[in-house]
Amino acid sequence: MTAFPYLLRWGDLRKEVTEGYPDPISSKTADDLPTRSRGLLFNEIDRCTGCKACEEVCPCHCIRVEEQPGPDPSKSWVTVFDVDFSRCIFCGLCVEVCQPGSLVHTRQYEGAAYDVSDLVASFGRGPVTDEQRTKWALRRKLGESDGALK
Amino acid sequence: MISAENSWIVAWGEAFGLPEGVPHWIYSAAALIFIFCFVIVPCGGLMSYFERKLSADLQARVGPNRAGPAGILQPIADLLKLLQKEARSEWNWKESLWLSVHTMALFSTLAVLPLGSMALLVNTEMSVFLPFWSALVLALGTMLLGLSQNSVPGWFGGIRVAAQTLAGSFPALISLLCTGVRSGSFRWSALAESQGFSPWDWTVVANPFQLVAFCVFVVSGLVLLAIAPLDGGLSMSDIHGGVSSHLYGMRLSLFRFGRFYGFFFWSVITVVLFLGAWDLPSQLVIPLRMGGAGRLLAFIELAWLLIKTFALMLLIIWIAKVNSRSRVDQITDFAWKVLSPFSLAALVGASLCAGWRAF
Amino acid sequence: MNDSNGEVLRTDLTSWTIGPYHGSLPAPMKLCLSLDGEIITDCEVETGFLHRGLEKACELHSWKATVAYADHLDPECAVFGELVLCLAVEQLAEIEVPLRAQCIRVVLAELARISGHLSFMVRMAKAVGSETIIHYLLRDREKILDLFELLTGARFSLNFLRYGGVSADVTDGFIERVLEVCELIRIRMKEYNDLFTFNFGFLKRTSEVAAISKNLVSHCGMTGPNARASGVSIDVRKVFPYSGYDRIDFEIPLGHGEGGVVGDVHDRFLIRLREITQSMEILKQLLDVVPAGDYMSTKCDQTSVIPPGESYVRIESSRGLLGCHVVSDGRNSPSRVQFRTPTVANLLAIPQIVRGIRIEDLPVVLASLDLGIAEADR
Repeated sequence: MTAFPYLLRWGDLRKEVTEGYPDPISSKTADDLPTRSRGLLFNEIDRCTGCKACEEVCPCHCIRVEEQPGPDPSKSWVTVFDVDFSRCIFCGLCVEVCQPGSLVHTRQYEGAAYDVSDLVASFGRGPVTDEQRTKWALRRKLGESDGALK
Repeated sequence: MISAENSWIVAWGEAFGLPEGVPHWIYSAAALIFIFCFVIVPCGGLMSYFERKLSADLQARVGPNRAGPAGILQPIADLLKLLQKEARSEWNWKESLWLSVHTMALFSTLAVLPLGSMALLVNTEMSVFLPFWSALVLALGTMLLGLSQNSVPGWFGGIRVAAQTLAGSFPALISLLCTGVRSGSFRWSALAESQGFSPWDWTVVANPFQLVAFCVFVVSGLVLLAIAPLDGGLSMSDIHGGVSSHLYGMRLSLFRFGRFYGFFFWSVITVVLFLGAWDLPSQLVIPLRMGGAGRLLAFIELAWLLIKTFALMLLIIWIAKVNSRSRVDQITDFAWKVLSPFSLAALVGASLCAGWRAF
Repeated sequence: MNDSNGEVLRTDLTSWTIGPYHGSLPAPMKLCLSLDGEIITDCEVETGFLHRGLEKACELHSWKATVAYADHLDPECAVFGELVLCLAVEQLAEIEVPLRAQCIRVVLAELARISGHLSFMVRMAKAVGSETIIHYLLRDREKILDLFELLTGARFSLNFLRYGGVSADVTDGFIERVLEVCELIRIRMKEYNDLFTFNFGFLKRTSEVAAISKNLVSHCGMTGPNARASGVSIDVRKVFPYSGYDRIDFEIPLGHGEGGVVGDVHDRFLIRLREITQSMEILKQLLDVVPAGDYMSTKCDQTSVIPPGESYVRIESSRGLLGCHVVSDGRNSPSRVQFRTPTVANLLAIPQIVRGIRIEDLPVVLASLDLGIAEADR
């Protein structure tokens, strides 16, 4: 048999390479990951237009978007924006097609949960209340009257 | 069969509060239990820790580091974890029977295990050969254990182990004779006395034939007891560890510990036969013995023996970790066609050397 | 014991069914073995345990999402699935790929080839039972996965290639890091040689075991390293160059029978080792002059519909010839995507080559064929 001259940690190339599970002191954290890392998704709901492009492109149907007419005609009120991480394959297509750039990959990777239902991340604003609806209607009327004044 | 040098047992017996006049068999039974609990079991734990750390170092890993400082408590954690395993519902009485036969055969060698000049329970002309009896029973036990498991890995594993044992025992026995030729006796004490503390007084360097005999003895021991890297019968990749594939929990730990013990006692015997046994420099031994510090001497001898044993075991583990596992047919071929002729040649050579010296 | 058909019942044979899940198998598959003692006399292979309906799934999704599915054709080296699909669609839609994008694609493909071969060696080391090398190999593959993560953001399912180019330009320092990794692996090569190529124990296990003849290669349609190990010189990169392989100067290593017989397990192992060296040569040549320009075809709009028609493209994946047949009827999603995977041919060869070997060699032989069951079952 070949006498194998492997040396115990001699030289830089033969050091231990194991990294413990990321803990903030000894090893890599989420911040050390490359900038393009595709971690858990996050939607900044204020910028989201509810265009549903992400829902259409998703290869595994893990995004569910529901919207209602919002205060601004160009932008709808996103009532439901659920990302089901139990189905997500982190392909990044949804982020690519997002026109307003509200959907982004964070660098978070700790996605473990005790229950499958915990894996669904909800970013929606919830259904529009009657109070909001009357307020928007009032505002729109005011805006129209302003325009008429001008 | 209890040797005359068992005074230390009596001393221990007194220390444990055994009244005087207790029959010798109680003393020896107590001694066996004492050796098992306070020598073999800690050695098993230590060795498994060393093995894991060594292989981690070799493999650019960290190894155990969570349980205790530097992971030293890992063996205990492992044991506790194995004990927690849930029992399987069906009870295979054949498997239990053969596992207990196998285990008893293995630990019966404790009685002949040489652990120092004052810890020789059985010290006769035959004592060197007694471990072989146990190794053969062990192989039989393992084979029947495998056959009783009703699974293909068990069958193949058991039969492979048996084939290896048969192939390995012949060269091992022959090379064993070489040491007896040199010391003129097969008593443990005589074998130890023919050597000395300095490496130049060890049997292994006495003449080239003894070196050959040493190599043959170590390798055929690996074949005989199916120890890595010559452990085709327990191969993980094709038959899932052979006999051990159907053992679990308590039984698995018993089986694993048995395998460790086989390896351990083979290394101890190798050290005693070839690597200077427990011999310490006479400047150290005589004052201690004269000064009545027999117990301290026994302890130092044991420690020195164990250090050498561990070094040998770690060397073998190192080789096993780096090299690939050999195939069973290649192992048996190797044992019959290579090891056996070499052991015979070594025996002839060693006899000639011994005869030369006698004239 | 003769019955009317003249068949003899062989009572001296044992039958043993391995799988679908067993340690000696590289992936879910079932082997029905007939054993004479420890020697295998007959073997039947059953696959399909990893069928995911990948080709059908492609038809149900938009063209864009299809790339993410092609990714999972072979999860181990995802680039090849993406590359072959993109090439096929580009041929269909007549999209010109910029040189820079081609270069990035080839870099990714060659890195994937190296990592694929490294994981092949891991399985090989596992099969022969040498633990230490597994860790060395995985440590070095980790470097390549880090490179993937740096460039694409993912380690395995890259989803980086797009029709008409790649989805992003290279990041700063990526090229330097690729060269660093090449240099590192070149140093490691010596270690692998010590541990494998010149190791007596390893030679004993692999040489003269389960040789594949040239006849069998052509009979089963085997391609890739397995065919080249048997001395059949076929490499799609040379025969039908794609993505600018015709501009690169490289040689195809062939098996010479160092282990005793041409095309045995040891040859199949050595060929991978040599191909890693070859891939590093290609990487160095490529990265010397990375052409400037776009990383994405400017003419190609991602929302555009692919014109009706069909195309077939083949590339050299780390396991062999990977073909892709795409049919479009002008709708938003493909009407048929079909893959021709190299592993299927290798699976066909198993019953022929395992006849007469021992059970202990079975994992070694299976590992040496580099079976990607995921791509065979699809």
